[in-house]
Amino acid sequence: MTLNLCVLTPNRIVWDSEVKEIILSTNSGQIGVLPNHAPIATAVDIGILRIRLNDQWLTMALMGGFARIGNNEITILVNDAEKGSDIDPQEAQQALEIAEANLRKAEGKRQTIEANLALRRARTRVEAINAIS
Amino acid sequence: MSCSNLTMWVSSKPSLSDTSSLSFRSFISPFQLPSQSSAPNPSRSSSATQIHCGLRELRERIDSVKNTQKITEAMKLVAAAKVRRAQEAVVNGRPFSESLVEVLYNINEQLQTEDIDVPLTKVRPVKKVALVVVTGDRGLCGGFNNNIIKKAESRIAELKELGLDYTVISVGKKGNTYFLRRPYIPVDRFLEGTSLPTAKEAQAIADDVFSLFVSEEVDKVELLYTKFVSLVKSDPVIHTLLPLSPRGEICDINGVCVDAAEDEFFRLTTKEGKLTVERDVVRTETADFSPILQFEQDPVQILDALLPLYLNSQILRALQESLASELAARMSAMSNATDNAVELRRTLSIVYNRERQAKITGEILEIVAGANALV
Repeated sequence: MTLNLCVLTPNRIVWDSEVKEIILSTNSGQIGVLPNHAPIATAVDIGILRIRLNDQWLTMALMGGFARIGNNEITILVNDAEKGSDIDPQEAQQALEIAEANLRKAEGKRQTIEANLALRRARTRVEAINAIS
Repeated sequence: MSCSNLTMWVSSKPSLSDTSSLSFRSFISPFQLPSQSSAPNPSRSSSATQIHCGLRELRERIDSVKNTQKITEAMKLVAAAKVRRAQEAVVNGRPFSESLVEVLYNINEQLQTEDIDVPLTKVRPVKKVALVVVTGDRGLCGGFNNNIIKKAESRIAELKELGLDYTVISVGKKGNTYFLRRPYIPVDRFLEGTSLPTAKEAQAIADDVFSLFVSEEVDKVELLYTKFVSLVKSDPVIHTLLPLSPRGEICDINGVCVDAAEDEFFRLTTKEGKLTVERDVVRTETADFSPILQFEQDPVQILDALLPLYLNSQILRALQESLASELAARMSAMSNATDNAVELRRTLSIVYNRERQAKITGEILEIVAGANALV
């Protein structure tokens, strides 16, 4: 049985093809999905998605959303997704440093929440690059 | 001077016909033009504007019209290319919104039995309404910006009549300048669009709207944008964004509720407080999802993850449609402008040629008159 993965963002289709296995970070922790997985619906956290094609692992940074698995069909709807190979390492690292600095500077609850979110996004992007190498 | 000469010669024209030498005949026949044109000229003035100016001014005007025509033509081509890109963006976003709606539909069916409370679907008595007004960033696009602003104004007047409070979230430079000039209209936030709407911009608007609604500062959020119908037609519409509720329910409190029900692809609403999806036009076959779909987290948590996505994609779509309408409006406006410029240039060149001819003729007449006087 083949497993089909479809990653959609409001702008475009990021991924739509067959995969062997994925590891998805959900709100309640990471889950691995193999063919013939039980049908589930889950919220997707800001985190990395690992995709296995034959023997090769790919990573993707997901910026929060929703996933539905069933019938060997995975649909992931996210606000934004970037393939690890498409992220510029230097730029991502810089963004991470800026986000860290912003968090230290943040005052008040709202700012802290926003800075935290930005930091998590930046960290995910850096992780997505490092997972490849 | 040439004019006086002309009249003299016109009056003495019969005598000229026999006295003129052969060599002049070719010049004389064009010379008759002014006398002929003097008759049709007044009749022409009724159809086109009469142009009174010297040769040099005429030439300058022709040049400037030519330049304007070039500019409008270029703008038209640019707008046409951008319309194509905007359409592509809409098409690219379609799979997302379609599967999102499908997922919502499925999950909603599963959640029918459970009693859940989602902040975004809460219908409260309306005291204050937020209007998200989507305008363009640039002018020269016909009545595009005007239409949407007028729509906003009439909506504001309606709300005032109903005694409701309102606030505006303005998106786009044109709307910003309009509302900045009118300080009596309360504006919550000014946002500016970029060349192509992205999920990030939609997110910024969604965040604002979300916090306004959830903090109960406003009880209803309406989205005013221009719906793209076709390249030659677009309508300003009002779309209720929040609360995600059935049509007609808010109307009881609000009086008038103009939902963008007209040929909307999908609309997420609630029935008896539950989420439902209305599919007005196309019913994409809902792939039969296993009925034993498990929820990894609480249904509330899943809906919390889904609804912002839905809100986001709705706003993004509105932005995209608005942009497509703006470009289409600009395209037709510029195409009209180019046509007008061509027409104007044609009339100007005719007048110019006629004037030039008259001048040449006048000079020849002077020479001939001089020669005649010598004989």
